[in-house]
Amino acid sequence: MNNMKLMNKISVFPALLLALLPLLLLTGCWDNVELNRRAIVSGVAIDRGPTEAEKYRLSFQVIVAEEISGENARGISPVAMYTGTGRTMFEALADASRQTARFLSLGHVRVLVVSEELAREGIKDILDVLERESDTRLTSLIFIAKGQPAHELMSTMTVFSKIPVNDLVEKLETTSKQFGYNFRMEVDDVIRGVQLTGGGPIINGVFTSGSREGADTNDNLKSISPKNILRISGLAAFKDDKMKGWLDGDAALGTVLLHNKIKEFPVVIKDKEGGYLSFNVYQSQVTLKAAVTDPEHPVIIVKIRQQAAIKESANSLDLTSPEVLEGLSEQLTGETIKQIKAAIASAREFKSDYLGFGQVLQRTHPRGWKQVKDHWEDIFAACEVQFDADAVIRHTDMRSNSFQINK
Amino acid sequence: MGTIKIGLGQFFCLTVLFELGTALVVNLGMESGRDAWLSILVGCVAGLIVFTGYAYLYRKHPDMPFTAYTRQLLGKYIGTPVAILYIILYINLAARDLRDGSTMLAMATMHNTPLFILSTLMLLSGAYVLHKGVEVLSRTSVVFALVVMLIGLFGTIMLVLSGSINLHRLLPVLENGLQPVLVSVAHQNYMFPFGEMVCFTMLMPYLSSVKKGPWVIAAGILFSAILLSFTMALNISVLGEDIVERSPLPLMPTISKISISDFIQRVDIFVVMVLIIGVFFKMAVFFAAALVGISELFHMPFRRMLYPCALIILFTSMLDARSFTEHLDEGGGLLYLVYPFFMLVVPAVLVVMAAVRAHFSAPRPG
Repeated sequence: MNNMKLMNKISVFPALLLALLPLLLLTGCWDNVELNRRAIVSGVAIDRGPTEAEKYRLSFQVIVAEEISGENARGISPVAMYTGTGRTMFEALADASRQTARFLSLGHVRVLVVSEELAREGIKDILDVLERESDTRLTSLIFIAKGQPAHELMSTMTVFSKIPVNDLVEKLETTSKQFGYNFRMEVDDVIRGVQLTGGGPIINGVFTSGSREGADTNDNLKSISPKNILRISGLAAFKDDKMKGWLDGDAALGTVLLHNKIKEFPVVIKDKEGGYLSFNVYQSQVTLKAAVTDPEHPVIIVKIRQQAAIKESANSLDLTSPEVLEGLSEQLTGETIKQIKAAIASAREFKSDYLGFGQVLQRTHPRGWKQVKDHWEDIFAACEVQFDADAVIRHTDMRSNSFQINK
Repeated sequence: MGTIKIGLGQFFCLTVLFELGTALVVNLGMESGRDAWLSILVGCVAGLIVFTGYAYLYRKHPDMPFTAYTRQLLGKYIGTPVAILYIILYINLAARDLRDGSTMLAMATMHNTPLFILSTLMLLSGAYVLHKGVEVLSRTSVVFALVVMLIGLFGTIMLVLSGSINLHRLLPVLENGLQPVLVSVAHQNYMFPFGEMVCFTMLMPYLSSVKKGPWVIAAGILFSAILLSFTMALNISVLGEDIVERSPLPLMPTISKISISDFIQRVDIFVVMVLIIGVFFKMAVFFAAALVGISELFHMPFRRMLYPCALIILFTSMLDARSFTEHLDEGGGLLYLVYPFFMLVVPAVLVVMAAVRAHFSAPRPG
């Protein structure tokens, strides 16, 4: 009996201590920052500051969670913008952080906008922190602000989302189907692009159209036609990490086709009688190959396979005839080849192989690539490009001939 | 020894988790660039050849751990110091893996948590399981092998669906010929992680079947090599050779590329889970090997040296280097200069001795 009591006395104390120990460990992670101590950053704009000490001017679009949803909404702006400057990106972030009451949380950054000025100066210095920092995501989209300061893109109220950045992301996803040519360009795509031998990345352009006055307040949305609209257009073409110029229209579409990043897009062609026809290309596959007999004179073969449907044919063409459709599909591939040729011409003009022809050569003929790697720019400027195009017009949609044919 | 027996399925899982360990998340074999996946496979073949040596020794001495038959084969005066050296090696390897794991955790997610706390927590969990015994460790491995496989399956399917995989990034294969692959194998891949199987010589006496046991472990090695090779190929096809080469933990950014309609995303925490599981098993197996060695060599109960040993591992891991870069640099040197002695030279000598002994003691006809 006595013995038992003694045993109990001894074992109760360590047991109690042991039971208390988990309390210390289970209080939570060391690193935790509660949600109400975080300010979620949705987008970042990067501008070139005037001096070396203010080299980077970072503007953060911070989501004001209470305004997006919640009873405590005060009717203020759903996002707030804070700007910080510094010699490095990290310093600029800290500078902006000091102005907010909460920790700027970079885990949900969806969009990064770089000003054209900075892009022309070179973007390699800003990319390092984006891939090194473990909070930021490689899936953030990168844009170049076309001819205007990047922070203006972060401070424009938008109709379709309370958070302007989300509006921008949605626009990017719809643009390629609506005569646009922009596609998702993420941080790691840009990093790989910068390292292309003799080439560079291509990055989507973004700008605002309309009057800037009141664009950052709800006034922008009060009238039926918004005063200032965020728009995605143009592709910034780079050589290494420096921006060389803008691609628009045919050249831009051709560039994206060569990257095989666009699968569905509309096409307008002119028929022989001077009218226009519209198509919708549903399936587009562009593959590149290199035929190498002499590495100094490689031949790049562009293979195009497309399936399309007629969307608009306001003319008297006999669309019930397979021969006519055959002729139209040839015109369709002719249009695509024209776009791709325009893309190659622009790339040669910028002296940058952002089309990835060098990579194609490297993939198919690694030995030849090693011989020409050092002077690839010269070869790129002169190499031959052949086309192997085929398009099928699958159907003419809900009518065969236009009513105009019976007139 | 010999009272506890561990089933073959459990040993298979333990082998797989041990081999995947930290190797799954680091940039393995990147010395050969985008052919890393190939050098892992070649390294595995080399590792399997080395393993046949260990298996031969085990077949000759099915009831003894490595430290016991070194004494039998080399004699008491050479065998004992060699056995002690092996125990030190296992403690060192456990400590190095602990440092790997805790630093990677600190890099990936827990920036503010002190390394010491991370290490202590990870080590305590390992020590607790070993306190329960080696058979508990092997049973735990079945559960976690399943978890790791499921995470791998999920990650792969999601990456395919989010369209991040571009197989062109794996081309051209063998751009600079076979040489870089072989150099990478010689520098790293046959040793890490496949040569580290030497610690299984301490655990193989627990195998429930002398005949099938080594085959099951070899199958585990092969299976994990295929997984490692596949993972590296996945990393490269998602991120490209250069980014993988510069990432200490390439699996993190690879998995973070998963984004399905902006809805399923930010799943990189799974990689952290895989990392913790891998480090836990790698460290625990080395730890167990050291403990088995100590208890066998000094004839003391398995558990008595558990916590002293844990302390040694903890402090070795903390004091081993000032920075992670220094730690990795040191590891590269050890891998190249020290480990081959333990993983190749000594076992080779033992194999020769065992073969000679078997030859002369075999009953002759006539």
